[in-house]
Amino acid sequence: MTESAAAGIHPQSAASPAPIAPTKIKVRDLHFYYNGFHALKGISMDIPEKKVTAIIGPSGCGKSTLLRIFNRIYAIYPKLEAKGEIVLDGENILDTGYSMNRLRSKVGMVFQKPVPFPMTIFENVAYGIRHHEKLSRADMDIRVEQALRSAALWDEVKDKLKQSALGLSGGQQQRLCIARGIALKPEVLLLDEPTSALDPIATGRIEQLVEELKNEYTIVIVTHNMQQAARCSDLTAFMYLGELIEFDRTEQIFTKPSKKQTEDYITGRFG
Amino acid sequence: MSGSSKEHIIKSYDDELTRLTGEIVRMGELAVSQLEAAIDVIDRRDERAAQHVVNNDDAIDLLEQEISHDVVRLLALRAPIAGDLRNVFAALRIAADIERIGDYAANVAKRSIPLSMVAPVSPTSGLGYLAELAAQEVRDVLVAYRDRDAERAYQVWKDDAELDEAYTGYFRQLLTYMMEDPRNITPCTHLLFMAKNIERIGDHATNIAESIWYQVNGEPLTAQRAKRDFTSNPELTKLGNKD
Repeated sequence: MTESAAAGIHPQSAASPAPIAPTKIKVRDLHFYYNGFHALKGISMDIPEKKVTAIIGPSGCGKSTLLRIFNRIYAIYPKLEAKGEIVLDGENILDTGYSMNRLRSKVGMVFQKPVPFPMTIFENVAYGIRHHEKLSRADMDIRVEQALRSAALWDEVKDKLKQSALGLSGGQQQRLCIARGIALKPEVLLLDEPTSALDPIATGRIEQLVEELKNEYTIVIVTHNMQQAARCSDLTAFMYLGELIEFDRTEQIFTKPSKKQTEDYITGRFG
Repeated sequence: MSGSSKEHIIKSYDDELTRLTGEIVRMGELAVSQLEAAIDVIDRRDERAAQHVVNNDDAIDLLEQEISHDVVRLLALRAPIAGDLRNVFAALRIAADIERIGDYAANVAKRSIPLSMVAPVSPTSGLGYLAELAAQEVRDVLVAYRDRDAERAYQVWKDDAELDEAYTGYFRQLLTYMMEDPRNITPCTHLLFMAKNIERIGDHATNIAESIWYQVNGEPLTAQRAKRDFTSNPELTKLGNKD
């Protein structure tokens, strides 16, 4: 025993993150297979409500796969299989009986590359709402405005709502996609590398938006940008080769990760 | 966990961190030699040499500026995190402590000049022992820093009590001399300040030890350290009262 240990001085070992909010999504022993390839290996984690959880890890680690299982987008492809449990508000969304429509209205998703529909700015936001709700013209106007305001885009587009969304800048298009996602009033917002195609100013706006949106939504963000995870998230999960290596408070991960693999990855020593 | 032993993918990042460690060690070694030189000039009663030690402090200050510059550069360009961040943060704190150690060594040398202008007093020799303890502490803590050895740093941190104890003894000795003969008051007062400077060097060595502990373990050294500097004890002060 070292002298410091004998004197009762122990560097604390990192523990699982203490709950920082009620759990919104409970993942239990999740496995995922692509054509027989074991892509996710027994993932278990509790994603807290109205907090930002970042998922980081090298390419191919399964982080985007995990994100896409949260809204079962994989179900549109054949030969993909998820086993285990993802409990959203007490119900397992992987159950075949869980309505896809209900899931999509509860869980919104924004992808790496902004893909606005080839229609007006207004219609981009109204399109999804019409699939789920029947609103009067006046109510729809209000709803679209709310979504665009929440996505910090209203002031920039309020005078050109009838113009094509394809004329917007990359950063504006991404915020439009976020507006489209939150127009359905989801409870969870999944962001898959939402700023990787954006310049630093547009990135800053999205990050500011994430900070504001977390008051209303549970956000899970996949990012390759370590500093973005550090800036935006409350919790960070590090994944490697389909396994969840470490999941802790972001501050802990970026100052004193408990696993060497995490330290090697975030400090640029991987490989 | 003291960070990873693996190299960074970007090699120049490793080079910059290694350079930072080297600068800190060099700065620390310079501060130790300044302390040793300061004690040497007291013994030799060499005013010119003392002034030389005082002037040499600029070199330590310059190194601190270089380290601060390198730290700012690393923070801006490398955005260090986890173990790397703790390394850089510790380097900045340690550089500040070494800079203070250099100042204290220069102060000792500066006071040796008026001391050499009065008749020698016997307690002067006791100062050497204090300086030896302090220099050894700094040397040990530099090795602990270089080797990222938290246990060795902890040892230094704990052993500073010995220097405190020696300082308390010396303080008592000086009080006795001053009580015996008022002509001793001037040289003994200088010696008292010099001793206090040396005792403070030990405190900075313990600060460095704490920084190393944090750097390696990622958390502060929170235990209570045994203090043996009892010079503020009212009982000891009563020694000087004759009634």
